[in-house]
Amino acid sequence: MFTPGSKYFVGLTGLSLVSAVLYMILVNPSDMGAYALFGLVLSGGLVAGFSFFTRDGDADTAADAVEASSYAPANSFWPLVFALGIAVVLLGLVTHPIVFVLGIAVLVGGGVEWTVQSWAERASADGSYNGYVRHRAIGALDYPGLATVVLGVIAYLFSRIMLTASKSGAAVIFIIVAAAVLVLGFAFALKPSLRGKATALTVTVGMLALAVAGIASALSGERPELAEYAEAKHYDKSHRECGEEEGKYYDHEANNTVSLRSAVLATVFVEDGKVRAQMIGLKKDVDTITIQRANSTNILFRNLDEEDHRLVVNLGTEVVAETGVKEKVGTCTQLTGQNQEQVLTVNIPKPSSDEQVYSFTVPGAEGEIKVVVP
Amino acid sequence: MSHTDPAQTKEKAMDTVTTVKSSRRRFAAAIAGVSATVFLAGCATNAPQDTFAPKGPNAKLIDDLQMIVFPIAGIVGVIVLALAGYIFLKFRDKGQEIPSQAHGKPFVEITLTVIPALILTVVGVFTFRGIFDLAETEDTELIINVTGQQWWWEYDYPVQADLGINQPIISSGQLVIPVGTKVLLRETSRDVIHSYWIPALNGKKDAVPGRIHLLRLEADKPGIYAGQCTEFCGLSHANMRMEAVALSKEDFATWVANQQKAYVPPAAGTLAAEGETTFINQCSRCHQVNGLKDANGKPIISAPDENVYSGAAPNLSHLMSRNTFAGAIFDLVNEECRADVWNAKSEEFGAKYLKGVSEECLNEKDLRAWLRNAPAMKPMYADPTKLEPTGGKYRGMPNLGLTEDDIDKLVAYLLTLK
Repeated sequence: MFTPGSKYFVGLTGLSLVSAVLYMILVNPSDMGAYALFGLVLSGGLVAGFSFFTRDGDADTAADAVEASSYAPANSFWPLVFALGIAVVLLGLVTHPIVFVLGIAVLVGGGVEWTVQSWAERASADGSYNGYVRHRAIGALDYPGLATVVLGVIAYLFSRIMLTASKSGAAVIFIIVAAAVLVLGFAFALKPSLRGKATALTVTVGMLALAVAGIASALSGERPELAEYAEAKHYDKSHRECGEEEGKYYDHEANNTVSLRSAVLATVFVEDGKVRAQMIGLKKDVDTITIQRANSTNILFRNLDEEDHRLVVNLGTEVVAETGVKEKVGTCTQLTGQNQEQVLTVNIPKPSSDEQVYSFTVPGAEGEIKVVVP
Repeated sequence: MSHTDPAQTKEKAMDTVTTVKSSRRRFAAAIAGVSATVFLAGCATNAPQDTFAPKGPNAKLIDDLQMIVFPIAGIVGVIVLALAGYIFLKFRDKGQEIPSQAHGKPFVEITLTVIPALILTVVGVFTFRGIFDLAETEDTELIINVTGQQWWWEYDYPVQADLGINQPIISSGQLVIPVGTKVLLRETSRDVIHSYWIPALNGKKDAVPGRIHLLRLEADKPGIYAGQCTEFCGLSHANMRMEAVALSKEDFATWVANQQKAYVPPAAGTLAAEGETTFINQCSRCHQVNGLKDANGKPIISAPDENVYSGAAPNLSHLMSRNTFAGAIFDLVNEECRADVWNAKSEEFGAKYLKGVSEECLNEKDLRAWLRNAPAMKPMYADPTKLEPTGGKYRGMPNLGLTEDDIDKLVAYLLTLK
């Protein structure tokens, strides 16, 4: 009744079960040891069942034996990849969604390759022919898939290096790597005899260097200011400073280039510590800017002072529904350096009135520009 | 085998010839009819949007350019068409042998390249000069923001103390400007692309969402100059009109002063006072009347951004100082009063226009019909059951289901908005 193989696993299952029961009675009924022993019971029972039903993989009849011998299975590492995928998926479940998704990708990739290979191996008794069948079915995907993985690894490792090095250091590294790629490319193009071993050696050394430097960089972490950005929630969408400068780095990231001058309604200047404004089409200073109601309107801010400044639009106050507290409403540009400019886009749905006063101000500079919304 | 009667064959052939001749005659008559219609259309006396009747320096500049370019283009066109016709008739296929094919006639090729180049250079010089002159904004004397939306134009006059505009003025339908003044329109749009064109005062300029385009207007004489949106902008594009009203500088100052006057509520106990309450309940969700207050004395701020797709509805402050409503497709004044203003002599025009809309002059018929069921008067997306594409917001004014009693009150109230 029992095959030789199934006997071992039935014995293992029984032994595990007894051990688990004893462990639960004598040690602890609900700790990891008990779970592990019961896991052994389940997995042992499962394998014993498989072994029993497949009769240890032995052929039932002579015909089965002939058919079985006609397969030409080759060595395959796809089961290993598949198993790795399972492990990564499980790891992802308890660590990070990205790891889980990565595991799924490995699992699917390994599973597909394994399935196709198994299918191809049933084509004939000729291993090389089976290899050709497999290649015809899925070979076109092998290199792009492999290239994607390799490029992904290179990009990840290189990004770690760039994030760890200082700003200027990162620029130097980038220039050196780009120059090296260019020189080697030229060399290989001009001297075909250098190809082959020299290429393999260069790529191997380069990848090793990249791997070592990338792993070392990943272990040492990002450069200090990037860590501070993260700590100060610099990348958080809610991060906004419209008053005096508080953050150490936030506003210095402003682009300070503007490409929509033809679409601005007015320009607000800061010069000699004072705020002034001009409306498009009117070459004189104004102290009031009229903005159309309920229409996105661009205001250009130009800083002519030595100090960095930002433009703030004050849109009165409103009661926050969640807290019931009256809070200031408004927004602002980022800090703008000397002779640089930024655009502030505002859309004001309600008209201005004695109760609802709007204005443009520049913290640290005198004066304000009144905003009128008809 | 069948036999054909020669007499019958001849008869059939004659029939065919007659049919061809007849269809040719009909085609020629149709062409002649269309041409005559187009030609005679140029003789229209009442053509307020005539492109060839400039009433200001900017439009005159364009007209002058047309006077140079059109004859040149016309002469070239006639020569080319005549040559093409001659070649078409002279060398049509009559079964003759194909003539010898010659390639490369340097003299002809150079001549046919140089002549058009010279013509285009002459036209280009005048055209570029005109373009740069029209784009001049350095000497602007008055700025007006012009905002297009489906399907009406809003005008707001930013604060310009030297012109007596100490608080913003907002209007719609009619753009009021002083004569002999370099007015700069800053055009934009709240929804789709529109195009502003008063042919008597300047060329057309697109109003594009998110952008501000500049257009210079200047009128030589007092009067009303008609225009129309010239960029297809949806269902009621044809009903999106505008009028520029040019007043003498003194009259413009009077108009400015009137527009800045504080709101005067109707006397208590009158029909107009009841109309104010109806307006607050039915209209003020979208239409702003500056200075209007609720029973507690709190200013009423409309919220068109919550109800209308473009985010705006005409501000009705001083409504009865305008002559039009609903995107300038309906007159607020009746035909007689309208003719009186439109045909007034220059020196009398300002006084007549500034009288505004009196009870006697009110075009009550159209105004009442509009209040009764606006979508029936002007095609708009105002069916509350079909607002899904716009997130529940109207494009245009919906049917408010007002009773005749409500309409009576509203008309009485609107008449007070002088």
